[in-house]
Amino acid sequence: MTPPATAAVAPENTATSDATATEAGTNETAGAHRIAAAFARARSEGRAALIPYVVAGYPDAATSFEVALAVADAGADLLEVGLPYSDPLADGATLQRASGVAIAAGATLERSLRLIERIGAARPDLPLIPMGYANQVIGGGDGEAVARRLAGAGAAGLIVADLTPDEGSPFEAVARAVGLAVVYLVAPTTPPVRRATVAARSGGFLYCVSLVGVTGARTALPASVGRLVRAVKAISPVPVAVGFGVSRPAHVRAIARAGADGVIVASALVDALGEDGREIAALERLVRDLRGATALGSAAGSPT
Amino acid sequence: MTVTAPGARPPRPGRPARRAPSTRPNVVEEIAARRRADILALVAGRATGSAIDDALATAPAPRSIAERLVAPGLHLIAEIKRASPSAGRIAATGDDIVARARAYELGGAAAISVLCEPHWFGGSVDDLRGVRAAVAVPVLAKDFVVEEVQLPMLRAAGADLVLLLAVLHPAKRLARLVDRALEIGLEPLVEVHDPGELERALATRARLIGLNNRDLRTLEVDLDRAGRLRELVPDDRLVIAESGVRDPATVARWRALGFDGALVGEALVRAADPAAAVRAYVAAGEAPDDPANVARRPLVKICGVTDADGVLAAVAVGADAIGLNVVAGTPRELALDEAAALARLARTAGTGTHRPLVVAITADASARRLADIVAAFDPDVVQLSGDESLALARGVGRRTWKVLHLPPAEPADLSTVTADLVSRGRAYLDAGVERLLLDTAGGSHPGGTGIRAAERLAAAVARELPITLAGGLNAGVVAGALRAIPAVGVDVASGVERPREPGIRPTKDPLKVALFIKRARAARDDRPNLPFGPTPVPAGLLDADGAGRWGMERDFGGRYVPETLMAALEALESAYEAVRQDPVFWAELRDLLEHFAGRPTALYRADRLAEAVRDEAARLGGGGPGAGGGGGRARRIPELRLYLKREDLAHTGAHKINNALGQALLTRRLGKTRVIAETGAGQHGVATATACALLDLPCIVYMGAEDIERQGPNVLRMRALGAEVRSVTSGTATLKDAVNEAMRDWVTNVETTHYVLGSAMGPHPYPMIVRDLQRRIGDEAAAQLFAVEGRLPDLAVACVGGGSNAIGLLARFIGEPSVRLAVVEAAGDGIGTGRHAAAILGGTPGILHGSRSLMLQDADGQVIEAHSASAGLDYPGIGPQLAALAEGGRIEVAAATDREAVAAMKTATRTEGILPALETAHAVAALPGLLAGIGGVGGSWPDEILVLVGFSGRGDKDLAALERFADVDAWEGAR
Repeated sequence: MTPPATAAVAPENTATSDATATEAGTNETAGAHRIAAAFARARSEGRAALIPYVVAGYPDAATSFEVALAVADAGADLLEVGLPYSDPLADGATLQRASGVAIAAGATLERSLRLIERIGAARPDLPLIPMGYANQVIGGGDGEAVARRLAGAGAAGLIVADLTPDEGSPFEAVARAVGLAVVYLVAPTTPPVRRATVAARSGGFLYCVSLVGVTGARTALPASVGRLVRAVKAISPVPVAVGFGVSRPAHVRAIARAGADGVIVASALVDALGEDGREIAALERLVRDLRGATALGSAAGSPT
Repeated sequence: MTVTAPGARPPRPGRPARRAPSTRPNVVEEIAARRRADILALVAGRATGSAIDDALATAPAPRSIAERLVAPGLHLIAEIKRASPSAGRIAATGDDIVARARAYELGGAAAISVLCEPHWFGGSVDDLRGVRAAVAVPVLAKDFVVEEVQLPMLRAAGADLVLLLAVLHPAKRLARLVDRALEIGLEPLVEVHDPGELERALATRARLIGLNNRDLRTLEVDLDRAGRLRELVPDDRLVIAESGVRDPATVARWRALGFDGALVGEALVRAADPAAAVRAYVAAGEAPDDPANVARRPLVKICGVTDADGVLAAVAVGADAIGLNVVAGTPRELALDEAAALARLARTAGTGTHRPLVVAITADASARRLADIVAAFDPDVVQLSGDESLALARGVGRRTWKVLHLPPAEPADLSTVTADLVSRGRAYLDAGVERLLLDTAGGSHPGGTGIRAAERLAAAVARELPITLAGGLNAGVVAGALRAIPAVGVDVASGVERPREPGIRPTKDPLKVALFIKRARAARDDRPNLPFGPTPVPAGLLDADGAGRWGMERDFGGRYVPETLMAALEALESAYEAVRQDPVFWAELRDLLEHFAGRPTALYRADRLAEAVRDEAARLGGGGPGAGGGGGRARRIPELRLYLKREDLAHTGAHKINNALGQALLTRRLGKTRVIAETGAGQHGVATATACALLDLPCIVYMGAEDIERQGPNVLRMRALGAEVRSVTSGTATLKDAVNEAMRDWVTNVETTHYVLGSAMGPHPYPMIVRDLQRRIGDEAAAQLFAVEGRLPDLAVACVGGGSNAIGLLARFIGEPSVRLAVVEAAGDGIGTGRHAAAILGGTPGILHGSRSLMLQDADGQVIEAHSASAGLDYPGIGPQLAALAEGGRIEVAAATDREAVAAMKTATRTEGILPALETAHAVAALPGLLAGIGGVGGSWPDEILVLVGFSGRGDKDLAALERFADVDAWEGAR
């Protein structure tokens, strides 16, 4: 594959490239490449990628398919698909409720997979990244069955809210085998040394949690978010997308200006769907507004 | 910072003070210079030599402080002074220092220290003389000794001890002063305050080393200085801590750190009732009287005793065994009639139950010689120290101990040697040998430096077999050896002897014997996490690995949490690692548990309940309803001695307080200022709210709305304690959702908040922390049971939800192969109905609340709601160590339905007058089935069995459940 190291290659470089090749991680998978391409596309347009989040099966299976397509067409560069879980301990009230409604409406892993498959078929260029919890994905085994099914349904990567690289190696191995990127998270509480380790292990992109807390729309993001983004960008070999609390175009603008490669919006979109989860028009408006705020670098006008 | 009261400064000496060119004031140099001038003036022109000799000749006989200090615990040296540079003139002392000294003695001070320095401290030799005449305890001359001539002067005035400040003397002079003091019967206490001074002090023959928190040059006090230095002092010295005492808690900490004495001055001088004040400090220094500590103390054998004084010394300090050597040609050989005389003395000198065993030491003796020995002095035990065969060991006809010898050289392959020693040891045990001694034949003790291989080998053998360490031990190394090696006993001979004289049979030094026993007994006090005996089970059942995983394949546990929490968990892990082996933390906790929470809790033999259990077992075993596995043949039900470990008597009514207090103390150590907790039945919430009230920490308790409904009284209790109870309505609104919500709070407030998890579950290190904090239940119970029955139980039973009570009771016994362990899960409506909380019997492997374990879930990995009438067991998961123990086959798993638990609750209440919590009642409910050998639990029992039940909580909170199940009756035998 790679030519043998020559005398011209500095020894430390050899060591590094060897380590990257043999060390765990999923950034060389087909899924990771699809994700990288989407980020690159957005960047080539001078934008941060917009990564909206939809809850599979919320408020019901059929509507959630419509919601996903509406979001995709309103300006998603990648799409996160939440797998409803009974005990979502990283999620705030909005996503807990949506998860509960979806489960009550009959959401199962099988149905979520079918949804992913349908979205993938309808929008083949849009990388899909399911997000779930460790017990759904790995549970008592190594997660191979679920990884295989997700990859089969067309997912490019996977975010597991309560999985860190410390526990992730066995799952990375099975994900690698099926071409799925395993996306890890860094948080404001992650010490700098650890940030670099996590980033090195993350596949496709690195999920940067903007605040100390659970998911859920906030009126304001912490003042430190710009500093955090720059610090994480500086050490990450993969694109950095920022999520948690992001709800307004102004948030997106701030994050994009700080140099993030992507912005993730979740609870705010579920909130936009209204009490019954069916106000798709409102959702589309919000996604368009958010998309309008993704310009990188200096001020790029967008309606507020 | 210099803490100097200007008023205390004496007038300047007439000549300019000779100071070092340093600009910093050096208080001690200044005082010493003045003292030197005083002394030189005093002795000038006097024919001192013979006058001092005369005075010495008439001095009262010295009183020994060492005898007091070698006794268990920490002893108080109470100090009298009229003023000090740090405190200024000390009020209330007045001139009546003699009365004060008497009060100190009355309060229990081991010695009185009297300041003799006149200018800064207002003291005098006359003060010393007055005090010495008024009390019977030794008196320490606290002076600034700069000239050797001061020593006989102080001795002549009656001083028994003298303070020597290392800071004032170069090494040689210090050694000379120590020698001179010893020569005239003055016990030198060499005081140091840094490692350099300590090195000089240790190079002298001084037995007493004082570690001062105060830097005498600047008077600055560093409260941790003495503790840090203590680690550098070998255990064969007597170590005294000085300065910085604020309250008795300081002294208790010093005791835990291994100090033998504390010099307390200013904290006492202002006390209105000095005797009472001293009493409080003396009490704080006492060795802990705690069954959990007692269980960790090793057997101590004093071997090779050769004379009556040696026997009396060993008996006086409570040695467990005395070895009388009758091996021909060895240095400590006794003729048979000599041995007989010493054996008689050992038997008659001992009091009550504390008589030491008399052990005949033999080596390769013939059967006939052994018979002669037994006939000659009737030893309790015969020790075989040679290469005796199994056949010979079998035929001794007395309790037999066997010595195994470690290879003298470092073995090439440790594991082969270990395996060989273990298999030989097992063979002897199987042949009826009662105890094994492991002798490090190389002559070097296994706890010493540079002998790592021997230590590793001894530790490896001690993990498999109950061994008594022998060879090369002395007071200086025995504690280290006992911490490194889980030996059940220690044996010492030459390490407690007087210096050898050629041609003379060695004799024991009573002080060394006493100090050896003190060091050996205290080695594991307040170190609940040190193994103290063999644990022949796979390591994965005993402890988590570095990644927090448990189990045969390390499949359980781990840390599955959002990234935001990882840093907090790592901080918690490293803080806890430091605390885990810190005796000060555990001593502080033990003190709270004893005085605040009412520990140790009682161990109660429940005879009437035992009878009801047997009747019910007979009914089940005899083919009654529910006897599914009876096989038609009525089983013999064993006689039952049923012991209840009464955690219901602990403060707040359940075992939960053990963990809550421990984690509240941990919160302080972490520097966190806010506490959150989850609760199901409310017991953990109440316990946490209680601990937080005690330690003044704000407390928020998450509780499922459903549980708030079911457990009204506990909600009111938490609020009364000042906690905020937050209702959780998400999910199923029960315990699991309360955990989720607590985790969300923690994710949000992790920088300020410690999450006091209530069960032995959750992400690493919580399962370990909670287990460590709860294992006291079983540690206490084992010691208590041993005291009344002389042995461990045949079966230990606990109910299990998340598992804190179960692992707390059972942890002590995991490595004891003779003890069967059972946990009882909540079967709710019945495991077959799917409405239950039986994570082991009815669950599958999965990840819940941060760790991988067994849990109730559907095929999609969605968590299934648990069902149990008992809110404390109503949880869909179980701690990872219990999952590992179940997987490894080390615990048996039973279950009881709601109705079975209620029947047991009613039965226990009516037969014993003890209302158990509904949780606890599950353990009782399973007893008949366990006895009858049904319900998935196999095996048979001996004729009479000892059963230990973790009686985890009281049932006041469950009275409504009794009403709800009004149609359920007590067992037939109890109606």
